[in-house]
Amino acid sequence: MSARLDVRLVKRLPGFTLDVDWSADGGVAALFGPSGSGKTLTLQCLAGLLRPDAGRIVVDGRVLFDAAAGADVPPQARRVGYVFQGYALFPHLTVEDNVGFGLCDRPRDERARRVADVLARLGLTGLERRRPAELSGGQRQRVALGRALAIDPALLLLDEPLSALDAPLRSTLRAELRAILSEWGTAAVVVTHDFSEAYRLGDRIVVYENGRVVQAAPRAELLWQPASETVARIMAIPNVLHGTVVKASPDRIQLRWRGYLLEAVNSPTRSYLPPPEAPIAFFIRPEYVRLVRKDRGPADPQHHMNLMRGVVVADEDFGTTWTLRIRLDAPGEPAQGTHDLEVEVPHLVYEILEIDRDRHWEFSIHRGSIHVLPA
Amino acid sequence: MSDEILSALSLSVRVAVLATLANAVVGIPLAYVLARRRFRGRALVDLLVTLPLILPPTVTGYYLIVLLGRRGWLGAPVYAATGWSIAFTWYAAVVAATIMALPLLVRTARAAIDSVDRELEQAAYTLGRSEWRTALEVTLPLARRGILAGLVLAFARALGEFGATLMLAGNIPGKTATVPLAIYTAVQTGEEQAALVLVALLTVLSCAVLVAANRLGARAA
Repeated sequence: MSARLDVRLVKRLPGFTLDVDWSADGGVAALFGPSGSGKTLTLQCLAGLLRPDAGRIVVDGRVLFDAAAGADVPPQARRVGYVFQGYALFPHLTVEDNVGFGLCDRPRDERARRVADVLARLGLTGLERRRPAELSGGQRQRVALGRALAIDPALLLLDEPLSALDAPLRSTLRAELRAILSEWGTAAVVVTHDFSEAYRLGDRIVVYENGRVVQAAPRAELLWQPASETVARIMAIPNVLHGTVVKASPDRIQLRWRGYLLEAVNSPTRSYLPPPEAPIAFFIRPEYVRLVRKDRGPADPQHHMNLMRGVVVADEDFGTTWTLRIRLDAPGEPAQGTHDLEVEVPHLVYEILEIDRDRHWEFSIHRGSIHVLPA
Repeated sequence: MSDEILSALSLSVRVAVLATLANAVVGIPLAYVLARRRFRGRALVDLLVTLPLILPPTVTGYYLIVLLGRRGWLGAPVYAATGWSIAFTWYAAVVAATIMALPLLVRTARAAIDSVDRELEQAAYTLGRSEWRTALEVTLPLARRGILAGLVLAFARALGEFGATLMLAGNIPGKTATVPLAIYTAVQTGEEQAALVLVALLTVLSCAVLVAANRLGARAA
């Protein structure tokens, strides 16, 4: 069931070098990173459309490329389905002929059956005779998916599968795509520059930057334990901050920041033990900062740790949540220009606490919500 | 006289049709290769194919004599072996018209092939199609309007060919005298009536061809 994928690639281009090494145990691997970081290049190498200078590609025990052994299976024989960013549907062929394009060596009736089956499973029945130009964006995406899946690929590649769609359609189709991928059970590699897309679609996320892999991890691990400040920056995590180590143990790290003493959880598996007074990077998720209610007396240390105090200097309405920019009551320059922390609160909380009127707050952060970024 | 007009006309059409066919056979693969492949000598091939567009037709004709004439590089061995030479036969008119029309087809078809999205070809490769079958099933069908427009232009050029034909095939009435050559002869010998008829015929035909090419080109865009 689980098709293992081992990828080691070196490809030198003028002004850019791709040099990556990662693997995945079946499921969906999401290649995530800024545009121009080598994600699509990797897909082209996997499909055999671009020949790497060095490396090895193994899909489920089958060697598709091995520079050392001189092996290079041509794209025609790789059984790798490729869903291009713009879908690359054949504009002169009908939906039926597009989906059946990779089945030309099968007998006519078998081919027709397979095409009908694929169209039915993707909810495209009735559109057989349409041309790509007569389809909606979502239908096009499914035809492209169907065309790649029809050949029963050993590996499915999807390049920014949702970027050609309008925003409202995108979230619907993201869920749909996720369902299709898990239903077909084909090992897949999805390229995206959007972290939430990578997180929703991928079981494992491989973070690319400038032609290299900066982290490859199961998606939950990546979300909670980015391997470095670089990864956190690529993920566009808010509140990446810099403090000084006070004391580090395998399960706790005490640090000093803006005059406050904070306690964070250390990851025992990472065994990251920086010496006292070493600089340390960490981040605080805006949605995990708790405002202390003023109508319930002083903050109970049982429920509140890492207490701080500050003033809301700016806020912004995101429809269902408010983002507050808080400047701490502490001497010195704020950590992020005009403010120290971004805090996210649901609309309901914003209204109940009357934050629009009352700007000065005490707040707390659980130690488990302060995430240390190893240097 | 009307016999000569008819024979010039039928010869011209025959030459233009055959030259266009030869263009399709040679020019379409050439356009594909120039658009899609990177190989040593590509710039040279491109230059040689385009040169007849720029050179005076008599210069192109001269090179054809050097190549195919009775004492030419290719012509001499053929003459030695068979006692036959292509020079001053109507086949020579076909060859001259083919070479002169080739750049028009190749440049038009190449632009059309260039504008076909390469991802479509790559998609076909991943779906098991060889490059050859991808060209036949994807690239050329999608470039067909441009290719057709190029063929129409090539036909028009072949129909109007004068200089290179004169050099290689000569101007033998009833044998190698195509319409443009017959017009020249008619004017030289003062047969103004015949000249006028031929000029009108060629003008109408060329206009029709240009309109057709423009329509094809417009729909291709």
